[in-house]
Amino acid sequence: MTAGLLATTLVPGAALTAASAPASAADSTTFTVGLLNEADSFNPFLGIEAESYEMWGLTYDYMIHYSMKDMSPEPGLATSWKTSDDGLTWTFDIRTGVKWSDGQDLTAEDIAFTYNRVLEGGPWGSTWGSYLTGVTKVAAPDATHVVLTLKKPNAVLPLLPIPIVPEHVWKDVTTSQVKSYSAEPKDGQPVVGEGPFKLVEGTAGGSTYRFEANKDYWGGAPHVDQVVFRVYKSEDPMVQALIKGEIDFAEGISPLQVKSLQGQSGITAHNGDSPGFDEIAFNAGSVDTKTGKPIGDPNPAVLDPKFRHALGFAIDRDQLITKVYQGAGQPGDSIIPPAYSSYRWTPPADQAFTFDLDKAGQLLDQAGYTMGSDGQRTMPDGSPIGTLRLDARSSSDTSLNTMNYFKEWLDQLGIKSTVRTYESSKLTDIILQGDFDVFQWGWYVEPDPDSMLSYMTCGQRGGWSDSWYCNPQYDALYQHQHEETDQAKREQEVKQMQQLLFADSPYLVTAYNTIGEAVRSDRFACFQPQPDPGGIWLIQYGVHNYISARPADQAGNCDGVSSAIGATAASESTGTSNTFWVGAGVVVVLLAGAGGVLAMRRRSSVGERE
Amino acid sequence: MSLAATPESVTAAESGAVASAGRSRRRGYGRYVWAKVAGACGSLLFMLVVNFFLFRVLPGDPARTLGRGRFTTPEQLHAFDATYGLDKSLPQQFLTFLQNTATGDLGVSLKYRVPVSQLLMDRLGTTLLLVGVSTLLATAIGVWLGIRGAWRRGGGFDKASTGASLTLYSMPEWWLGLLLIAVLAVGVGPVPGIFPTGGLHSIDAQPGTVSYLLDTAWHLTLPVITLTLAYLADYSLIMRSSLLDELGQDYLTTARAKGLRDIQVRNRHAVPNALLPTTTVIALNMGFVVAGAITVETVFSIPGLGLLGTEALEVPDYWVLQGVFMVASAGVILANLAANLLYGLLDPRVRT
Repeated sequence: MTAGLLATTLVPGAALTAASAPASAADSTTFTVGLLNEADSFNPFLGIEAESYEMWGLTYDYMIHYSMKDMSPEPGLATSWKTSDDGLTWTFDIRTGVKWSDGQDLTAEDIAFTYNRVLEGGPWGSTWGSYLTGVTKVAAPDATHVVLTLKKPNAVLPLLPIPIVPEHVWKDVTTSQVKSYSAEPKDGQPVVGEGPFKLVEGTAGGSTYRFEANKDYWGGAPHVDQVVFRVYKSEDPMVQALIKGEIDFAEGISPLQVKSLQGQSGITAHNGDSPGFDEIAFNAGSVDTKTGKPIGDPNPAVLDPKFRHALGFAIDRDQLITKVYQGAGQPGDSIIPPAYSSYRWTPPADQAFTFDLDKAGQLLDQAGYTMGSDGQRTMPDGSPIGTLRLDARSSSDTSLNTMNYFKEWLDQLGIKSTVRTYESSKLTDIILQGDFDVFQWGWYVEPDPDSMLSYMTCGQRGGWSDSWYCNPQYDALYQHQHEETDQAKREQEVKQMQQLLFADSPYLVTAYNTIGEAVRSDRFACFQPQPDPGGIWLIQYGVHNYISARPADQAGNCDGVSSAIGATAASESTGTSNTFWVGAGVVVVLLAGAGGVLAMRRRSSVGERE
Repeated sequence: MSLAATPESVTAAESGAVASAGRSRRRGYGRYVWAKVAGACGSLLFMLVVNFFLFRVLPGDPARTLGRGRFTTPEQLHAFDATYGLDKSLPQQFLTFLQNTATGDLGVSLKYRVPVSQLLMDRLGTTLLLVGVSTLLATAIGVWLGIRGAWRRGGGFDKASTGASLTLYSMPEWWLGLLLIAVLAVGVGPVPGIFPTGGLHSIDAQPGTVSYLLDTAWHLTLPVITLTLAYLADYSLIMRSSLLDELGQDYLTTARAKGLRDIQVRNRHAVPNALLPTTTVIALNMGFVVAGAITVETVFSIPGLGLLGTEALEVPDYWVLQGVFMVASAGVILANLAANLLYGLLDPRVRT
């Protein structure tokens, strides 16, 4: 056995290349995507990673889709929907003629079944439960209608990103089984779903997942026959695989890689706007949520909203974008990123944060944090501020570099600080204990801002709130917008909330991030950004681009989507990159060394023979 | 099995010559074996207990790590803990853990929601293939290099091989791996990129066929080369120095005086004696095979045990961590035991 393995390993690779090279594109079209993280579960009730959501999106469909332009709700399995005047009853009309991949008809019953399982809670509800908050009953009065009954109006509806699973398969899965139910292909049978693709190969935590196109998909058959995901554990090999052509798409690469790939012919790379932000966060008042007594040891200065707000002018966001984000990002101000324009509040020009240390100093003076005789600012009562602790995450260079810059700017203001680094889970513990002053982290924001807004409420202290911010006025607005069914009014309230956060500054938003992506545009075309323009090509809300992606020579006008990556972009090659010359040099040295060893060996054996 | 059989055959052969001495020697080795086996079992048990508490003091909360960035209520966090038994007190969890381990149930991964035993089995094969083959290759080549080098100490071959293996030893494995990818997988100038950049097999490979085996071998070539080159010095340097120790010995002079050819003196007299320290190193390194090779697994995206463990640390995925460490420490303990038993056979002096 071992001898056989040894022998096969030693066989020259050239002979094997022919035997096992990927199948040519002549018979079927395979679109191969490189990911940097694996899917943690194919069971849509269990997984957590963004990659898993992508896999469910291919396998299953949703009642509501997200638009490519701004992620607003669009018809999916539900063709239309209406709500009662009191906002307590939602009725969805379900598309007819949709079939499961095993041939059975999809009906409203399947949707009601899925939602009722989520409502059951426990392991069924852990991923999706919050989307059905306030829903008391889900019913399917007939095959084409689903009715949701609510306790209180919920403005988050109709957005319901819950994958619909087939009742005839899942009704046999018990509550205790679902905790470890894998929903993976078994005995060569694909997973039963109604999405644009069928999972035919893949396991949770595995490194390859293969999907076959569902030619009967109601939204039209995908243009490619197969989608394959390969999980890479580091970025450089994934980029090399893209250059070599082993994969057609690389997801989640760094701005530096994007820059280097932009020169390669046949490859289109960009930093797509991702709906998330990075922030410098303060301890706005850590308390024991049961007794209400302060816990932890925050510096009294950071508890003061005026102090925090003043520091908003001590951050050179443009420099952060250039130096820390390598130009891939936008300066930030509010917790709702520009992608969600209808909910986003932008500070008026006279209030907006600029890099202005004089202004920051004036604001600090006004708030009583005046300069002491030793050149350091003092608390309003004259006692020293001490040293602010700036906590960064050890896993993120962005985090550490941001804090190092912030420390410099604080120095110039006359505030001493020190940068500490922690592993993320350790930092989470520290935050929950309240033993911190300032830290750097970030969030992704869902198309509906409700969840992000909720993290800043008093009720989330000790839960997801990491700033311990609590403002009854903010909480009242949060409750109100959550139940506000008039869209225009709701948007207004969401903007007021951002205004409050801007003034109280539990977070100083530093940047809106991007995600680096690269595609072999000489092979595949028709990737539309989401949001359009400026957004990302894959790992979107929904799986639109897997359906519209097609071989570059069949691109045409991409069904009239002008913003999609179209025909082959004939960019000129910039020649061989530096890595290659370094590599080549090393090869030459190694070969010379090997030659030397061989020569020595010859000579020594000659000596021996003599 | 073969280990148990060997002492019998050896002592049997010797007992032919001196019967009484043979019997006492057999008893001596038997006691030695028992002591070592009992010691190994003790270590295994101790390790099980330590593993449990070791990972519970890790910072972090699985529900929180796994849930960050999603719309989750505090109630849902508690529900997660309850589902996976994390809400119980530590002593209670420990009891459950002991019971489950005794029945062979290693728990369910918090991250992947599949049984840990299944994850371990999947990954163990991959790791054994990658690290096992590399260790065997490195051992064979390293020992050969060491012998050649020491026998003609200071010669051209010695200088070249010592220099090369030291250089490779001090080179970070991931960098060596990346260079190999850039040169042999992507191709540089006239060098064609013939090997894949990563992974364990091609997408369309059908398990169970000959081409599947070849495909796996083709994928493993670069990582195996990387690891072999990195491990070489471990063996070549030890073999070289222990052979050098033997060079001045009187028995070699005797052997030469008997008129034996140089190669016979080396292979029959010097090398067997010099192999003792190398055997220990080989046996111990075999124990680390199951721990995987984290950096090389990362660079070549090979899903092995090393990666499974490092990724589980981030959550922390207690049950996976416990499983991985159990396999890894069991590997080391067993290899240690094997080394001890082997040493007892090779060198009778250690038995007393």
